[in-house]
Amino acid sequence: MAIAEAPALAGRREPVAIPARETLGHRITRHWADYLYVLPALLVMLIVIGYPLIYTVWLSFHATPPRTGEWVFNGTQNYQDILSGPRFWRVTMNTIYWTVGSTLFAFILGLGAALALHNPFRGRGVVRALLLIPWVVSAVAAAYVWRWILHSDYGLVTGMLKSWGVIDRPLILLDSKSYVMPTLIAVNVWKEFPFVMVMLTAGLQTVPEGLLRAARIDGASTWNQFWHVTVPHLRGVILITTLLLFVINLNSFTLVWLMTGGGPANASQLWITEIYNIAFRSLQFGMASAFSVILFIIMLALGYFYVKALTANAPRREG
Amino acid sequence: MATSRRGINLLGLARWLFLAFLLAFTALPMVWMFSTSIKTEFAAIQQPPVWIPAEPTFDQYTTLLSPANPTGRQFLGYLKNSVWVSTATTILGVLIAVPAAYAFSRFSFPGREPLFFSVLVRNMFPVVVFLIPLFILMKFFGLVDTHLSLILTYLTFGLPLSIWLLKGFYDNIPPELERAARIDGATRFQAFWKIILPLSTPGLVATAIYAFIQGWNEYVYARTFINSQNLMTMPVGLEKFFTEYASNWPGLMAASFIMSVPVVVLFLVLQRHFVRALTEGAVKH
Repeated sequence: MAIAEAPALAGRREPVAIPARETLGHRITRHWADYLYVLPALLVMLIVIGYPLIYTVWLSFHATPPRTGEWVFNGTQNYQDILSGPRFWRVTMNTIYWTVGSTLFAFILGLGAALALHNPFRGRGVVRALLLIPWVVSAVAAAYVWRWILHSDYGLVTGMLKSWGVIDRPLILLDSKSYVMPTLIAVNVWKEFPFVMVMLTAGLQTVPEGLLRAARIDGASTWNQFWHVTVPHLRGVILITTLLLFVINLNSFTLVWLMTGGGPANASQLWITEIYNIAFRSLQFGMASAFSVILFIIMLALGYFYVKALTANAPRREG
Repeated sequence: MATSRRGINLLGLARWLFLAFLLAFTALPMVWMFSTSIKTEFAAIQQPPVWIPAEPTFDQYTTLLSPANPTGRQFLGYLKNSVWVSTATTILGVLIAVPAAYAFSRFSFPGREPLFFSVLVRNMFPVVVFLIPLFILMKFFGLVDTHLSLILTYLTFGLPLSIWLLKGFYDNIPPELERAARIDGATRFQAFWKIILPLSTPGLVATAIYAFIQGWNEYVYARTFINSQNLMTMPVGLEKFFTEYASNWPGLMAASFIMSVPVVVLFLVLQRHFVRALTEGAVKH
């Protein structure tokens, strides 16, 4: 990478001999053809992302009664209603529980899988491939198969535990206010730990083998090799993976929506499912937009760290 | 020496146990999905649960996959819609991502960095934030209840990662290769087409799989944008199936299984490329 990049940069800059005081306008016109390459991508992103974003913010300051269809500016009323709503803090706590719990356990399991599969053995490729399956399976199919497995009367879990004599009455998980969140998190971890595994597997391959060997020769224990050589090398990947995971979880809708619909009694209601209900069940687009904007601001803060992590990661590798 | 040997063995044992647990955790739900799908409705609700049904039947599959009955016709329709939407998304996505990634990698036009990051930041946005305004936008353009609305939306899911992965690939290909080709009289496009594109095939394959799977599995937008039964894609069709035949677990599991097979097989065959692309492109970068 470094070898390829250094002469390229030098080669590109020297012959052109940019005058010291070239204006931005000149530079843009000189590079006009370059923009053609990125234009299609930018157009799609602008239409499908730029416009909706601005529109959401605009909508969030309006009352949008579904019956009349007349949208009236109402200032920050929507925001006040949300923040003082009876369910807001309940849903917020659920969202934090869901996001942190899923991220943490998916990360631990994914890291464990990546490490356990790092040293080659016969059949490693097959094992790795099999472990990736949940990640590829549609969340809709996953939601239904897990609903079936966890079915309180005919489910696999109840049936097995009963036949082993562990329980004597149906095990109620998804319909129980106290068990629903841990159960959903377990299913979610099943679905997304392979993502962590893939990212960290890729990361592990960049750890120089020589460095580990040197540490081994110097008598470092397995733990010390891991902690002092592997982990520092993986810092960038770990950061990006956990951030992405965090965002994915904050955004995830399908599993919860199809497994519990936020129930029982809102015990598994998340921001996302709540927003969806407000928008497409109650048809209060203004209110739902305000809620989206709050979520968006949180994402923006996370996005800032994400970009920082990406940029901080890049130059260090160059050297 | 003796203690360290035992330490290694213990670690090795823990590793095997952990892997066995992981394999069971990931594979058993899928096995159970298939096992249920070849049971009769009566056998499926028998307790204690049986992994291998005494009298396996493929009735659910023949019902779902034969155009002779209404259920089968519906299901095949969902399947066809999913294939079309996912394929169109994939092809368009690659066509748009390749030049963009190439430009981000090779050229140094003003605003390159901010533009690149603004593309990446798409990953950060909550799906629902876009759902409402996009729904209104699609309605405005009369695109609600068309496949085009889904294809356009799915494009933006895939593009950031595609561009990111491909840029990593192009960064790793020395520009000297193109320069040599240009000196030999190739145009910029020829150099790209003959030299760069073949070298980045794993990246292309990876981004294509990613885009296809995303399109195949997507549920929220498909549910919101499409109302007509004959335009629905598989995930929404599956939900419909569930609400209509709530107690037919074998049927639901068979439908889920049919839906999972194409992407799982596709991914398993090509996952090597995917992992490699991540290693070369994203992570190394």
